[in-house]
Amino acid sequence: MKIVKIPKKKLDLFASILRQHWEIHAPVEQNGRYAFKPLTHWSEARLHYNRTILPPKKYFMPPRETMFHYREGKGYVPAQEELDQRLILFGVHPCDIYAINILDEVFGGKYNDPYFQTRRKNIGIIGVDCTPDEHCFCRSMRADTVEKGFDLFFTDLGEEYMTLVGTSLGDDMVLMAAPLFEPITAADIQKYKQVSSEKRQAFSLDVEIHDLPEIFELEYKSEIWDELGDQCLSCGSCSMVCPTCYCYDVADTVELGSKAGDRVRTWDSCLFHTHALVAGGENFREKRSSRIKNRFYHKQRGMVAEYGRPSCVGCGRCIVGCPVHIDIVQVINRLRGEDHANRG
Amino acid sequence: MNKPKVGIIGLTGCSGDQLVILNCEDQLLDLVGAIDIRDFLTATSANDTESRLDVAFVEGSVVSQKDEDLLRRVRERCTILVALGTCAVWGGIPTMDRDQDRPALLRAVYGDLNWEYDTCPAKALHEVVKVDLNLPGCPIEKDQFLATVANLLNGNLPLLPDYAVCTECKMKENNCLLIEKKQVCLGPVSVAGCQARCPSLNIPCVGCRGPCTDANLKSAAATYAENGVAMEDVIRKMKTFAPVPVSEQP
Ligand code: SF4
Ligand code: SF4
Ligand code: SF4
Ligand code: SF4
Repeated sequence: MKIVKIPKKKLDLFASILRQHWEIHAPVEQNGRYAFKPLTHWSEARLHYNRTILPPKKYFMPPRETMFHYREGKGYVPAQEELDQRLILFGVHPCDIYAINILDEVFGGKYNDPYFQTRRKNIGIIGVDCTPDEHCFCRSMRADTVEKGFDLFFTDLGEEYMTLVGTSLGDDMVLMAAPLFEPITAADIQKYKQVSSEKRQAFSLDVEIHDLPEIFELEYKSEIWDELGDQCLSCGSCSMVCPTCYCYDVADTVELGSKAGDRVRTWDSCLFHTHALVAGGENFREKRSSRIKNRFYHKQRGMVAEYGRPSCVGCGRCIVGCPVHIDIVQVINRLRGEDHANRG
Repeated sequence: MNKPKVGIIGLTGCSGDQLVILNCEDQLLDLVGAIDIRDFLTATSANDTESRLDVAFVEGSVVSQKDEDLLRRVRERCTILVALGTCAVWGGIPTMDRDQDRPALLRAVYGDLNWEYDTCPAKALHEVVKVDLNLPGCPIEKDQFLATVANLLNGNLPLLPDYAVCTECKMKENNCLLIEKKQVCLGPVSVAGCQARCPSLNIPCVGCRGPCTDANLKSAAATYAENGVAMEDVIRKMKTFAPVPVSEQP
């Protein structure tokens, strides 16, 4: 893997070179929180941020997406709008890149999703390392570092960013701006190791995921689920903000006065009472407790069986976004009988 | 094909929902091209108030015997009855006082006139007749109304969201007024469809669309109260647009 570095003060120059070919989206401050948005000036970008309100999944599977149009005489016409939009997400955290890699498996495996795949091809990713806050537990979820899924990855060494080149596209980006990049030195390697170990020690949350599927299996009838069901508002926020919640609902938008329309998919959530409701009125998860249980089981157990690891990457978004403070780390620790496992 | 015959009828309400229909400027021609509007007093005085209707959209709540009689007549006339707006769906703002002493309320408003006043505690349409579809909102959403008509023309009922305003609010990546500012935002218990109009403008949701089917009022009320708002005020807020049974719960 090619590794170079770029002085921080040359980043805006690098961005302006990239901008000749791509639209750049980066975390921007929004009333004390952050959101990925298109940049008008590089100065708006915040590479030191905790987490964006929505994860980058919004670029690969937008909250609402037209899949195709249909019209008598014309049949089904796939929607192409925006699919070929070429952009770069600048400043994606490792957990979020990890989450995109998980989505790759979901939308690229047995059921290939052309919409996701096309967007994935057209969107470049420049990762950036981060300092965990009190809600991050990506390290516990083994998602604090990534080996793939980015074109470039930046690690803050103080005055410059060490730059890992992940793909040939990433290499092109570096070559386009070749004079801005420098080789790394022995001192940089030392600094990198120090940064890496400091990050490791900065985590205040810790959960043990080893044998978690078994624990979930054993606690299937735990009273915790009823308790959480009484608390949960089914507001859907946790699913919307989760980088690996990928459920969607498909429905037609009909044009007034014709037989034409659009088939549209919209983000869905297993917390909705309609999620497991089928024709005839049967609801497989009528009770809220069984729905919140499903969310945790799918993340921490179902995905392990299907893909070999939990789909939770420990980004902390569902913790900060739940109006009734349902906290996945506390839930896991309680199931384990380790209520006080948090070091924070 | 015969155009379906439609009536748009108002009981006691502000006509806001009917105005939304009249305000569908860009689609109005398509609309009158697709349906035969027979009875729409807010739009015209030349109405056919007797003929059968395929669809009746009824706005407002039932607050008098006159309303109730009209509603029953409309129910008999129509095949599909759509409750139009939060007053029709839930009873709306008029239901706020429906547990209170009626004569005392009358005296407070009209003084000691001793009129034989035709008034009763406010009711939603479904408390009087069978309702086939609910279109909530104060006022209704234009796109939901048009989607309803488009779907009915194809022989379907529309699929309207029955999840919380929060879901649409998060889809728009808004800052959360409840979590970040501790405001009483009713988004978690109110039904989506407005694209979180108010939180998107930094104004907490007041629940004008009424609750979603699965609203967890008890837990939400406890959360607002936890943020320092008196439970009494929380309950009052939650009951502004729908007579939800929140007081018994917490
Ligand atoms: S479950 Fe929560 S912490 Fe885990 S990835 Fe999803 S939002 Fe992040
Ligand atoms: S964010 Fe919290 S209250 Fe809302 S659905 Fe998720 S767990 Fe339930
Ligand atoms: S601002 Fe209101 S509607 Fe939006 S997420 Fe927060 S509680 Fe829900
Ligand atoms: S955000 Fe709440 S108050 Fe505002 S329009 Fe929607 S339901 Fe009504």
